[in-house]
Amino acid sequence: MLTRRGPALLSWLLLAFAIVWVAIKAFGQGFGISGNGPQFVITALNGVSLAALYFITASGFTLIFGLMRVVNMAHGSLYLLGGYVALDLVNHGMGWWGAMVLAALITGAVGLLVHQALLRWNQGQDLRQALITIAVATILADQMIVHFGATPSSLTPPAELANSIGLGLYHLEYPVFRLFIIGAALVVALVLWLVIRFTRFGMIVRAGVDDRAMTSSLGINVPLVFGGAFFIGAALAGLGGVMGGTILSLAPGQDDQFLLSSLVVVIVGGLGSLRGAAVGALLLGLIEQLSAVYLPQQFTNDSILLTFILLVVVLAVRPQGLFGRRT
Amino acid sequence: MTATAAAPMLRSRGLSRYFGAVPALHGVDLEVLPGERRAILGPNGAGKSTLFNLIAGDLAPSEGTVELFGRDVTVLAVRKRARLGLGRTYQTSRVLGGLSVEDNLYLAVLGARRGHLRLLRGGSERAIRKRAREVAEQVGLADRQHAVAGSLSHGEQRQLEIGLALAPSPRLLMLDEPAAGLSRAERLSLTKMLLELDREVTLIIIEHDMDVALTVAEHVTMLHQGEKLLEGTPQEIRANKMVHDLYLGNTHGEG
Amino acid sequence: MRLSVPVRLVLSAALVAALALVPAVFTTYFTSAVAVRALVFGLAAVSLTFLAAYGGIVSLAQTGLYGIAGFLMARFIVTNGMDPILAAVLAIAIAVMFGLLFGAIVSGSEGIYLLMITLALGVITYYFFSQSGSFGGHEGINGVSAPGFVGNPVTHPAAIYEVLLACSVIAYVGVRLLARTNFGLALQGVRDDPVRMRALGFNVRLHRTLAFAAGALIAGLAGVLGTWADTRISPGTIQVSQVIQLMTIAVIGGLYRIEGAWVGALVFTLLDTYTRGITARFETWIGIVLLVILILSPDGLTGLASRVFTLVRRRGGATPTPSSPTPADDAATVPDPEQVGTGSGQGQVAR
Ligand SMILES: Nc1ncnc2c1ncn2[C@@H]1O[C@H](COP(=O)(O)OP(=O)(O)O)[C@@H](O)[C@H]1O
Ligand SMILES: [Mg+2]
Repeated sequence: MLTRRGPALLSWLLLAFAIVWVAIKAFGQGFGISGNGPQFVITALNGVSLAALYFITASGFTLIFGLMRVVNMAHGSLYLLGGYVALDLVNHGMGWWGAMVLAALITGAVGLLVHQALLRWNQGQDLRQALITIAVATILADQMIVHFGATPSSLTPPAELANSIGLGLYHLEYPVFRLFIIGAALVVALVLWLVIRFTRFGMIVRAGVDDRAMTSSLGINVPLVFGGAFFIGAALAGLGGVMGGTILSLAPGQDDQFLLSSLVVVIVGGLGSLRGAAVGALLLGLIEQLSAVYLPQQFTNDSILLTFILLVVVLAVRPQGLFGRRT
Repeated sequence: MTATAAAPMLRSRGLSRYFGAVPALHGVDLEVLPGERRAILGPNGAGKSTLFNLIAGDLAPSEGTVELFGRDVTVLAVRKRARLGLGRTYQTSRVLGGLSVEDNLYLAVLGARRGHLRLLRGGSERAIRKRAREVAEQVGLADRQHAVAGSLSHGEQRQLEIGLALAPSPRLLMLDEPAAGLSRAERLSLTKMLLELDREVTLIIIEHDMDVALTVAEHVTMLHQGEKLLEGTPQEIRANKMVHDLYLGNTHGEG
Repeated sequence: MRLSVPVRLVLSAALVAALALVPAVFTTYFTSAVAVRALVFGLAAVSLTFLAAYGGIVSLAQTGLYGIAGFLMARFIVTNGMDPILAAVLAIAIAVMFGLLFGAIVSGSEGIYLLMITLALGVITYYFFSQSGSFGGHEGINGVSAPGFVGNPVTHPAAIYEVLLACSVIAYVGVRLLARTNFGLALQGVRDDPVRMRALGFNVRLHRTLAFAAGALIAGLAGVLGTWADTRISPGTIQVSQVIQLMTIAVIGGLYRIEGAWVGALVFTLLDTYTRGITARFETWIGIVLLVILILSPDGLTGLASRVFTLVRRRGGATPTPSSPTPADDAATVPDPEQVGTGSGQGQVAR
């Protein structure tokens, strides 16, 4: 009885309606180049690349939760921190690639520090831990204003990714960097999947999701694994920040934006589930981009309500998220 | 088991529950008649608590059906089964730790009645308070009524746990290891209380303590590795060699 | 410690009477910058501590509900020219409807799941009001007039202060009375053990949902009064930092005691008013204060006070009376964050 029938049926109808709606708008005038097809292709790609960015960020969030049951409310701050650090490094003459790697590592280290200093000794008190990370988010947000200012800025993509390439469809061109983010998300997904599926570390992560009591009895250096997972989770947030800082902008408020997107992604996908994060990110990214184009004009400003509806529908049908398991 | 005129209080057919691929309970048929005293025995991990959870609705069965009071309740919500007249205890006490003993029992009585959301006169409805005090007396907590449940001793919490199940005057009472962790004296008074229980109430009891279980029960069902192993009277069970083998060195487990 | 009921009533009445004199005794600046704001924060925070103390629900959506009431009332008054009282009642009613909706959404979740979902709801509410064209966008809605008897809250804050004080007293008494009703007792049962409550025949989700609506009533009231006091509302009032600020207030005071809301609000407002001149990094300091409280005394100042009190009494030789009446409405009996933290998962039997 995990899925309730009535709401489930309704949500399928809703999804079908949304798809038909978009399809009519996009291809109602045929598939030719004079119709709205080209616009659809670009919008869909924007949605997928945004989803890729959401996935990279949210995968760190869900990894940390999956293993430690810690809801890291400072995840958005770590995202923004990653972007700012990379910006600082680039401004000091470092290349984009080097800055990306170093920023991710530094963000990971900050995450590790937070874990070691503030979360290690209260393992299991999940609410208290979440509140502690809220305090950390407050401090980080304010300190970032001190160090990086409040004026929006952004990173320039590296020269080799700065161009657009032809898609071979409707003579369209698309920024290489956005395609690169999609590729990066696939790599992150693959690596995480391999690690979780085939390594001892991954075994503990899965045990953590499946059965908490087992984790400690496996005779493995649990503190080390926890610290490692927090490092990786935070580094993924930082990596997301570097990518996001390149296609979007770096400014106060972006941390909240990405905390929200991470929350929605994992609530929809199911906490602790990598597959769920992927599906959740795709849903959110596509909904955000498609709604900007295909909602009737007068509702364009209210498109956030679609995110709300997504949340409501999923929670009504499966309170534990699409791929979540109730413990 | 031969059918009698009275409809069974509980009937399960082919009841199974898997956790992953592992069957915690497999194909269990059970029939308990009105007024019966039934003991469910079996070693740790036999599936006894799982059986209770399936009957009460805390777990959904993987296969099979559950009937309570002649009605199929397989997909009925937990709270609705409770309101049909099912009372139960849990193996580890589930008392309402932040409330007083009296408020615990007040809620237990209220649960089976109307007016859950009542705002006026609520919280002090006389009839309910009166019944709550009676139950407190019945389970030996008369002088602890104002104590916060979370501050009670283990034994007292077990008493309150039974009180919570008894308070709504259920037709079918299911006790999951009520004697676990109790002192000898406490076990004796528990046995006494169960023997004095009104015949209107049908009793199913899971108990590792043979003295308690076989004194109270008239009928015994043995579970082993999720399956029903045998059924019989306490005398037959006492005499059975298999039972002795299974229970050897295992008089009071935790599982 | 437990004083007899008449003594407690007299003391409470004296406290309220003393508080009513604040505008007469203190400057207009203090009344408006500290007293009025503390009461608005306090009322908003009570909607949070009420849910936490009696429902075991730690919600980050309360700021959103505050905003729904505030924005709607402001629009009704400014755009539709509605009477302020009527607009307020209508706005609160709509906030309660949203409370029901939010409650229905989150009632199947517990603990940190609930914390996450309510945060998402709160943030979505913020984005809605900052993006939607009908509520003034980033600027918000200015020039919201309060009813005649309130006058101009900016130049003469005494009247809005007294209204706030009266509403705070009503909210406090209301919550305490609610806790003794059938519904209130059952809500506390749901807090302690939802599995047990289900097995006793209660509809756990319904109780949580209705509790959320009650919390929305308080949050909506705070939103209406806060908007009157400010004569304006903007998305900035309900942005994420404000969500966190409200949680900070509740945690400073003590998340699991409803009184904690006002204690936390007063401490916070005093800090906010008198340290901003000393430090430009107020947010950082608030974060540090929150962190220190979470580390040292997760049950906040009220929790700290009651522990000190117990200690002093033990020293004084008074023996704790185990069978002294401990009514359930005494939030001291509520599990502290540590227990609630670990307990969030245990309430669920696997399905
Ligand atoms: N929630 C659960 N998840 C996974 N396995 C479970 C769960 N509950 C019970 N089991 C397994 O089912 C089997 C039966 O358990 P239980 O019914 O508690 O046994 P008993 O009460 O007879 O000691 C055990 O092997 C136990 O490990
Ligand atoms: Mg058992």
